[in-house]
Amino acid sequence: MLFEDPQFGNKLITMMAAALLVLQIMMVAQRWLITNIRAFGVQSFLLACIAATIAHFNHAPHIYIVAVLTLVFKALLLPIVLERLALKIEIRQEIEPFVNVPVSVIVSGLLTLLAYVVAESFHRPEEAAGPGRLGHNTLAVAIALFLIGFFMMVNRRKALTQVLALLCLENGLFLAAISLTYGMPLIVEAGIFFDVLVATLLLAILSYRIRETFDSMDVSRLSRLRG
Amino acid sequence: MAILVLLLIPLLASAATVPMRSVRQMELVYLLSAAGSFLAACWLAGEVLRSGTVQWGDGFLYADHLSALVAVLTAFVYLVSAPYAVGYFRRDDEQHVFDETGKGGASASKLRKYYALTPVFGFSMFLVAVSNNLGVLWIAVESTTLASIFLVTFYGGRTSLEAAWKYAILGGVGLSMALFGTVLTYYAAHQILGGESLNVLNWSVLAASASQFDKTVMRLSFILVLLGYGTKAGLAPMHTWKPDAYSEAPAPVAALMATAVVNCALYALARFYVLTGRCLGPSFASHLLILFGLLSVGIAVPFILVQGSYRRLLAYSSIDHGGIMVLGLGFGGPLGALGMLLHMTFHSVTKPLLFFCAGNAQQHTGNDSLRRGPGGLLHSLPVSAPMFLLAALAVTGTPPFSMFQSEFMILRAGFAAHQVGSVVLFVALVVAIFCGFFYHIANLVFGPATGLPRGEFSRWKTFPVIGLSLIIVILGFWLPAPLYALVDGAARILAVQP
Repeated sequence: MLFEDPQFGNKLITMMAAALLVLQIMMVAQRWLITNIRAFGVQSFLLACIAATIAHFNHAPHIYIVAVLTLVFKALLLPIVLERLALKIEIRQEIEPFVNVPVSVIVSGLLTLLAYVVAESFHRPEEAAGPGRLGHNTLAVAIALFLIGFFMMVNRRKALTQVLALLCLENGLFLAAISLTYGMPLIVEAGIFFDVLVATLLLAILSYRIRETFDSMDVSRLSRLRG
Repeated sequence: MAILVLLLIPLLASAATVPMRSVRQMELVYLLSAAGSFLAACWLAGEVLRSGTVQWGDGFLYADHLSALVAVLTAFVYLVSAPYAVGYFRRDDEQHVFDETGKGGASASKLRKYYALTPVFGFSMFLVAVSNNLGVLWIAVESTTLASIFLVTFYGGRTSLEAAWKYAILGGVGLSMALFGTVLTYYAAHQILGGESLNVLNWSVLAASASQFDKTVMRLSFILVLLGYGTKAGLAPMHTWKPDAYSEAPAPVAALMATAVVNCALYALARFYVLTGRCLGPSFASHLLILFGLLSVGIAVPFILVQGSYRRLLAYSSIDHGGIMVLGLGFGGPLGALGMLLHMTFHSVTKPLLFFCAGNAQQHTGNDSLRRGPGGLLHSLPVSAPMFLLAALAVTGTPPFSMFQSEFMILRAGFAAHQVGSVVLFVALVVAIFCGFFYHIANLVFGPATGLPRGEFSRWKTFPVIGLSLIIVILGFWLPAPLYALVDGAARILAVQP
């Protein structure tokens, strides 16, 4: 059967990982905040799909829970909260990166290349042949998401967009965690999820307060404390 | 048992504080929780000294000498900051800091935030010390950030928002790196140990089999963990959030952050250092630690020399001391680890005193400036001002005080490790820091009277200062035997044999 064949699962996961990367670069390239938030939602949805696929093909039921958590919190709840916040504080809906879009995309490409170089050192041909081993593509994509997330973070000046970059970075982290080890032990994963959720909400509240106090979400205006 | 009690006391205190309306009740619960936590930490240390390790729940919570030391130090800072915080906020309340509208009643809700969040902050730090699972350790470190963000924005001004933002975003990025490092360690362990169970991430399990782990993975893992927990400890160049957060947070919170949080972050780093050392041999991790240590001490120098605010001065001093501890760990061997842990102990006693004196001075004069400040604090603060000077001498490692001993031990460890160049550089930087620090604090304390009213605000604020000063003087000559046994046992855990 197709759905029992590990080769098919491998291909499916590689394809979805590629889509994750494309979405990430799309977020770097386009300028509208709301679209960015939705792209993040889709990315998280794909992440949940990858988790579910891994759970199915490797018979690891506890990863289903991770998939559901990702789906509920990262693909639905967080995008909704962030989008509401973005509309509520009525900022100009453009992202205004420091580095312009073409250069940003080139930088993202270079970072992806770097990620493949790093992931290569993890690759062991003798293990890749065995059943259930994912291609090292997934790890490379995870590292690429992580690095591009960093780049997005330093490249953006508005509070909410930095939160979004942090979330993308964490998506990369989750992908690495589930593709390398088929998930950490459940209690750890759940705890991490809870912490990420709370951290995001805290950051959202803070960015809201920054808007209220400074009349702007531009964090480059946060420059009173020096030396 | 002791582990559970230690974790439950602050949690219960926090839960009890939430529905309270009277500030006096909150103060009482807070003081009791601080005293209870300290007793529980001492109990835990006693059990560890008697039986080596203490476990609960199939090794889920685990305490050895190192955990017990960190727990005792955290509980100590929590204990001394509690009465100080009571006095500090009473003074704020008297000055109507919380009451912007003039209607009254604002102080209870504002103070409830402090009295409910600080025990949670304490709880997460205790959890850092006693969690065996490296994933849970990460969760606990992240929770210390989450619990303290709103303590940094306590006064709610523009600058405190700015500080909190930097703290949250840098902390978030840093900790995500630490999480990546933890995932990689799990990956390395998973290959050897297999299985999906929770125990695979337990430090005690990992440490036993670390020598077989994949070397490439562990190398990458340690770099990420060093960057991650280094951000939390405030090592250069990830230190930029620190001066802002420390100068904006209320003084008792700043004291907790500058000592207990730094200890917790370095504790987490040290756990990974042991794993990496057993896997790769000590030299790889040591070189990185020496580099980051020297960089932190070095970056503190110019900022201390030209500093304009004494709260920020203390923050840079804390970056400097974080660097010294990492340097001790990096020099390695039994002497380096012992020096690092002694330094951690003495720093946890000295730095709160500095923050308390700084807080007293700031509340008295209304600003924390070294340039606009008129000096002559000696005339208006008869207790805090001389103690400020004493603490400044102690924290810069002047001989009769205990920090001299630990810094000297780290120097000896450096020579033993044949790192002569690093040692010479380290001595030069420490001397420069001493000059800058002493110049600023002496300027602040001495000088003609400025016409500010004379007198300390209340005993709540002076007794912790006097008590800590006594402890600092005593520690210079005599270290209690159980404490030394604890430090020594912890140093044995950290000393990776080449």
